[in-house]
This record gives sequence, structure tokens and C-alpha cells, in this order.
Amino acid sequence: MDSLIIAPTEDSPEVKFTTTSNRFVISGESRPENASKFYTPVIEWIKKFEDVLYWRKNERGDKSEIVFEFKLDYFNSTSAKYILDIIFSVKKLVGQGYNVKIEWHYDKRDDDMLDAGTEFSEMVELPFEFIPH
Amino acid sequence: MNAIIDAYEISRFMEEKNVLLVFTGEFDHRIISVLLKNIKGKLNPDDITGNTVKRVYHVLVESIENIGRHATHDKTANSQSIFMVCRDDSKYTVISGNPILNSNIPALKEKLDKVMNLSLEELKQMYRDQIQSGNTTENGAGLGIIDIAIKTGNSIQYDFFPLTDETSFYQFQTEISI
Repeated sequence: MDSLIIAPTEDSPEVKFTTTSNRFVISGESRPENASKFYTPVIEWIKKFEDVLYWRKNERGDKSEIVFEFKLDYFNSTSAKYILDIIFSVKKLVGQGYNVKIEWHYDKRDDDMLDAGTEFSEMVELPFEFIPH
Repeated sequence: MNAIIDAYEISRFMEEKNVLLVFTGEFDHRIISVLLKNIKGKLNPDDITGNTVKRVYHVLVESIENIGRHATHDKTANSQSIFMVCRDDSKYTVISGNPILNSNIPALKEKLDKVMNLSLEELKQMYRDQIQSGNTTENGAGLGIIDIAIKTGNSIQYDFFPLTDETSFYQFQTEISI
């Protein structure tokens, strides 16, 4: 399975999903012109990543913790729906018994970004680790 | 020299109203990006908190993107759209205006009136319901308006001014206290 690496632009976040890594990062600003086009491959990648986790766990006995890091400065309301989809996909991996967690990084002055993370966490019923900077 | 008098009038109006940015024209994605970049540089004074800066930026993006969503596809009409940001001692005011087809007004008005009558808690519940409804294409505008209402303490004001038999000018305004 290929890694998914998307360079940041002024309206879309950086995505660093390296297949061999244990940390997967989405960072930056998100208001892409076409949110569906941007986020569909990201969501698809997470769904396929389950095969990698299965192989790691059952073939190699590797049960290391996997972390999805959200480090967003800003996202618009259209992106919010896709971010929720990503979080649902991650939650599915947790439901399948993999050692996966979500870190929600935010600027400590940005109460709204903390609130947004809390909302997502409650909607999906998955505890996040909140990390202020 | 009428042109000079006009320019002076405009500059005086901008000063009186504390206009930080005003733009009229066509709001495509590229222009929106340029405008946002420009306003970002003006939103970092030391006398407002980091959260207010983020909040103002958030409301700006949603408001400016709403222009594109609501504007009629008629090029001439679209060129009449306006976006303006003002600041005084107590608040930022974000104003957007664009032509809209009269046939779209009743549904929009219903949505706005519904949002304007809700408490913060009710708005948050509506946001949760809407984002989880799974409708990722058509309802973007709905979620945007709810989001603006939450972030501005529900300070939405709107109006429609008739332009032609088929179109009206839709004005949308919100305030963010400093």
C-alpha cells in the first residue's frame, strides 16, 4: 500500500500518511475549492490502511500504538463534514480492536478549535487526546 | 472633476465606517484566497485576543464563501457582489451582499429566520444534526450559516432589496464583539 503525501497549499492542509509510520498527520488550513475531491482519497486511504494494520498485528505481532494527529489552524464548514468522516473511519479501526488513537492539537488561544475537537469527539464517541501549543 | 470628488467621498466613508477591507466584483475561489490573505495581515493587532482573531477569520471565510454559494450564475449580477469588513472599538462587522434569484428567497429566509430564533445550545444541536446528516454536497450553506450564528452570538441581520423582476440584492451582516 502506498503512502499518501499531500503538500500543503494556502487553502488545503498537509497530509502525511506514510504507510510504514505509526503517526499520521493532517495539518494546516482547510477550505479547499472542492472538499470532496480533496478528502475522498484521504478517507479511502484510512479504510485500506486496515489491511496494513491486520498484517502488522497478525503476521508480525506488531501492536504498536497508531496515532492520527489533527493539527488544524482553520477549517471551513464544508471541510468539517469530511473531517467528521475521517474521524468516523478512525473510530472504525478502534472498533475493530486496533490500538489507534486521535490527538487533537490546537493553539492554546484558540478556544473554538478546542471546542470543535470536543464536539467531534462527542459525536463519534471516541475520546481524543487534546494537546495545546 | 467628478471623479476626484467621488474618490474623496469614498475615502471619507471608509474612514468614518472604519472599513478594513472592501471588495466588489466576482468572488471566485482564487479571488477569495487573495482577499483572505490580505485581511489576515490586518487581523493581528495586539489589543484583541487570539481567539477573537481566529473567530473573526472564521466568520469572514464563511461569509465570503456564502456569496459564491448564493450569487446567481448571471455574470453581470455576480459582479455586483460586495464584501466588507469594518472595525470599531467594540466590534468587527462583516457585511456581504450579492444578487439572488427571487425564487430562492423564501427558502433562504425560512432558514435564516429559523437560525436567528435559536439559543446557542439549540444552534449547537442543529449543527450536530446537520453535520451528521451525511449530506455533504448541497447543505454546505446551511451548516455555514449555523456556524456563523454560533461564532457571532447569533448577531445575524439580513435584508433583501428588489433589483429586477427576477432578482434582489441580499445583504447579510454579523458582528463579533472584541
